[in-house]
Amino acid sequence: MKPVKNVCLVIAALFCFQLMQAQTIVGSKHDFSTQAWNTSVGQQICIVCHTPHNASTTVTDAPLWNHASTASTFTLYSSSTLNSTMSQPDASSKLCLSCHDGTVALENFGTTTNGTHFITSVYNLGSGLNNDHPVSFTYDAALATTDGGLKNPTTTASGLGGTISQNMLFGGKMQCASCHDVHNSAGQPKLLLKSNAASALCLTCHAK
Amino acid sequence: MMRNWLSKMILSAGCFCCPGYIHIQAQTIVNTRHNLSVSGPGTVKASSESEICIFCHTPHNSSPLPPLWNHANSGSVYTLYSSSTLNALPGQPDGTSILCLACHDGTVALGNILSRGPISFSAGVTTMPAGNKNLTTDLSDDHPVSFLYNAVLSTADGQLKNPSAITSPVHLEGEKVQCISCHDPHQNSTSSFLVTTSQASALCMSCHDRTYWNTSTHKTSTRTWNGTAPNPWFHTPYTTVANNACENCHNPHNAGGKLRLMKYQPEENNCLDCHNGNAAGKNVQTQQLKTYRHDVFAYTGVHDPVENASIVNRHVECVDCHNPHAVNSSTASAPAIKGFETGVSGINQAGNPVAAATYSYEICYKCHAGNTWAPAAATARQIVQSNVRLEFATTNPSFHPVVGPRNNAEVVPNLIAPNTATTVLYCTACHASDGATSPAGPHGSIYPQIMKLQYLKADGNTTASGTTESAAAYALCYSCHNRTNLLAGNNSFPEHSKHVVSERTPCNTCHDPHGISSTQGNATNNSSLVNFNTTVVKPSSGGILRFEDQGSRRGRCYLTCHGQNHNPLSY
Repeated sequence: MKPVKNVCLVIAALFCFQLMQAQTIVGSKHDFSTQAWNTSVGQQICIVCHTPHNASTTVTDAPLWNHASTASTFTLYSSSTLNSTMSQPDASSKLCLSCHDGTVALENFGTTTNGTHFITSVYNLGSGLNNDHPVSFTYDAALATTDGGLKNPTTTASGLGGTISQNMLFGGKMQCASCHDVHNSAGQPKLLLKSNAASALCLTCHAK
Repeated sequence: MMRNWLSKMILSAGCFCCPGYIHIQAQTIVNTRHNLSVSGPGTVKASSESEICIFCHTPHNSSPLPPLWNHANSGSVYTLYSSSTLNALPGQPDGTSILCLACHDGTVALGNILSRGPISFSAGVTTMPAGNKNLTTDLSDDHPVSFLYNAVLSTADGQLKNPSAITSPVHLEGEKVQCISCHDPHQNSTSSFLVTTSQASALCMSCHDRTYWNTSTHKTSTRTWNGTAPNPWFHTPYTTVANNACENCHNPHNAGGKLRLMKYQPEENNCLDCHNGNAAGKNVQTQQLKTYRHDVFAYTGVHDPVENASIVNRHVECVDCHNPHAVNSSTASAPAIKGFETGVSGINQAGNPVAAATYSYEICYKCHAGNTWAPAAATARQIVQSNVRLEFATTNPSFHPVVGPRNNAEVVPNLIAPNTATTVLYCTACHASDGATSPAGPHGSIYPQIMKLQYLKADGNTTASGTTESAAAYALCYSCHNRTNLLAGNNSFPEHSKHVVSERTPCNTCHDPHGISSTQGNATNNSSLVNFNTTVVKPSSGGILRFEDQGSRRGRCYLTCHGQNHNPLSY
């Protein structure tokens, strides 16, 4: 009897740890405090993207934005089975692309405009987004019905406490942040919003 | 108490998980063989990779091909399907079909993805193992893909629905048929990842619209297989003829018979794996194995559905006489075709091809009406004619009533009921499998010329070498012609008994059973099917070989036979 109880307690403890583990941007891929190109005073972390004052309003609803924004026109994803209407990345996705399209230097934040360090390798999506999962499209119940291979975001649990709409969409739209948490709150590889083991993240929305 | 606590935990966990799990099982890729992750249910799967989508899709840095394709492409050049009846123009696979082939042609490692390093597979698997999932780069034995399916094709083919009539979930990609027209790689609720059930070939029928099919026995029969090998339905989950429908004969992938995607090459194997006593009602195979037969085994790859109705390249296959899309059990009276001859091409009595025979003999005329390759007539005669169509013309001086009735009262008294002067016979009245319970038709017989009953012909020009008359010796003739009357000379040639019994001369020596063409013979010399066997019957001492009809049951013969000079002899 006792070993059984102990095993249960261990399982329960692991379960709780997984849920409650306090994850942070510190030490994550987005912790730029050790990057040579981060010449901010004290190599601050937040300052690469945010500033408490004099923030940029170039991108609508940008959260106290401090980084130069991309001016790229992106090639959008298309396919014969795509039902949603694609448009240029907007809102927070455009902020992500301000580093991840490879056109704006990483250190072009604050007053710097002439940086020379650009994102590399697989993290550089380029301005051709036709080989990337689409973003900045409205994902609603109607789209789910039309597509037939997507779950209804207003009634489907996200696994994050609420529905897909509540936890993963922004103004009803899918954005980069639907899958990624730039601040690493979940502590998942690739800054994912939740674990993609067994493709759980993909299958949150895709009824495949 | 502790146990209760544990049980509640398990129970609550179960309640939390199960509804979602059941939902997933019914609808998703997770429990299919296409879940190549370590959690997949199949035998071909990754050794440790847990992600499911990753084998085909990636959210970033995918191949340029939608949908976010993540698998290395094959780049193979494929051997394409083709056939003489194919109106579509399949090109090298394109669209999403090349994505499927990236694994299913067996040339690319299954774990060779684009977004990161290769994923290793368990049990040493690298590429798709050989078997029916591996289509190879030879697609000539697979249903074609990547061809335009539009109204033009539908019209040209004549056996395909207008694409506007195709309904979901079967669909075209653009205007093309692709793998996904039939398969949904993400769910396997039917079998073989089909978009809809293949039961009763519902999937095939979404596009294919075969003439005659709706009334065919091959569509409607509820017969089952008795379990004796070979399994005619080795490639399907269905157990009745009706439910196997198209797949009774066809196999859409890795078909043994490439042309028209038949289960087997040679052709007859597609028929005889049911018609061998194991599934179909009649055992045709038994007949086909008899000594004298329409030898469907002797030819392979010669028959072509678009060949001339008058067969040029000698062969015979089941489908030369039967249309498997059309066969049914309807009955008819001679000479009209019966259900099992529905929808078969023929040559009519005028010598012209017909797409679908009206009369049974028209099917026989495909081969037996003057084809250049035809073998010599079985018996050497005064008048030589190998064109059966000419032998049976109702304008002939005499003929067996196959095309039309004799309307000759003279022969009526010697006919056995129900035969009368107006009777019309099928060719199969004489040429058919022997045995009272054998399937109809000239499949095979223990008797030469595929005779239904014994018809002895031996006559060595002497009495000793002739044939001893008996009911059995000429059972074929005596099945219609009254033996007693004939031998008594009643209402017929009065010397029958002398010739047939005493001299042991068979019927065949004097009579040419099909008939004598009016283009060669005449009513005086060739009435009563008289056309002598010239290996037995020789000219008279006067050098004449001739029969002369001199009115009702009177005549005379000029000939020498069995050493007896007729110069002439009269009766």
